[in-house]
Amino acid sequence: MFVYDKKLQYPVKIARPNPRLASVIISQYGGPDGELGASMRYLSQRYSMPFDDQKGLLTDIGTEELGHLEMVAAIIHQLTRNLKEKDIENTPLEQYFVDHTAGVFPAAASGFPWTAASMQVKGDPIADLTEDLAAEQKARVTYDNILRLSDDPDVNDVIKFLREREIVHFQRFGESLQQLRQKLNQKNVYCMNPAFDM
Amino acid sequence: MNADAYMNKGCEGRLPAMAPLANPYVPFQLDAPPRYEPRRALVRGTLYPGLDLPFMGMVNQQEQPVTAKTELQTVAFMIQELALYLDTHPDDKEALELYRNYQKMYHKGMMEYNESSPLKHTMPTKGDKYRWLDDPWPWEYAANKEG
Repeated sequence: MFVYDKKLQYPVKIARPNPRLASVIISQYGGPDGELGASMRYLSQRYSMPFDDQKGLLTDIGTEELGHLEMVAAIIHQLTRNLKEKDIENTPLEQYFVDHTAGVFPAAASGFPWTAASMQVKGDPIADLTEDLAAEQKARVTYDNILRLSDDPDVNDVIKFLREREIVHFQRFGESLQQLRQKLNQKNVYCMNPAFDM
Repeated sequence: MNADAYMNKGCEGRLPAMAPLANPYVPFQLDAPPRYEPRRALVRGTLYPGLDLPFMGMVNQQEQPVTAKTELQTVAFMIQELALYLDTHPDDKEALELYRNYQKMYHKGMMEYNESSPLKHTMPTKGDKYRWLDDPWPWEYAANKEG
């Protein structure tokens, strides 16, 4: 089960609201490479993992991603606090505002609502871990792009932390994939689906 | 691991000398890798200098102000980072010992912190008031401005 811990993984303290930045950072809440997709991907993939190493790693990283989801929400919430209509008019947050006011809704920066179609659970451990490697890279690039667009030091402090976590997770998924392969037929790791045929 | 082996950043992983075709490889992080001090690790987003690969030189230089909460966040971060490392390096005794030391530190810090601000419903509380609902909540600016 999951138990709420009443603290963030890393402090989010944004002194100045900024609707423009909120309109791009929302993508890491509900966009195609965002934290909601990351947490759902890993926490769902773990059930079909045949060995304990991968069950454990997916549980630990998936749980951390839920903490990142909360941090991204905290960024959006603080960037949109105490705004008045005139602060939002003629900013890129206008379209979001008309549907969600200053609430936090999982959507991409382009406005598309979060969709499970942006993630996959293939039920084959090699395929799933290979997807996870790509997912961490795509999330890293999204954070790179946010850093390109933001000059707010309070925001960037948190974004740099979240970006670095993607690199650490990539490393661990890569190691885990290697550990998995070592338990399979060395001549042909693709001779069957170890989640289904073992 | 011999410190000389880490002289050059970029040489902290091991790849198999020979490997089957059609498999992607990420170099395995060698055992007992160099580590940052805990407060630095937190703002860098990793305990391991070898994995600290910033974008366009953008690096958090400033550590978080020292408060009871950032103390707890720092220790929790050390545990998380060591847990992910141990998930793929379960035989690294040094990492296991560190992980256990931070678990003890976290337990102590958590009990103290929980006296004034409840962290989890499952933790014991005292006093004549139900304090779980007390503002600020973690995502609010007021909860973070002191650090």
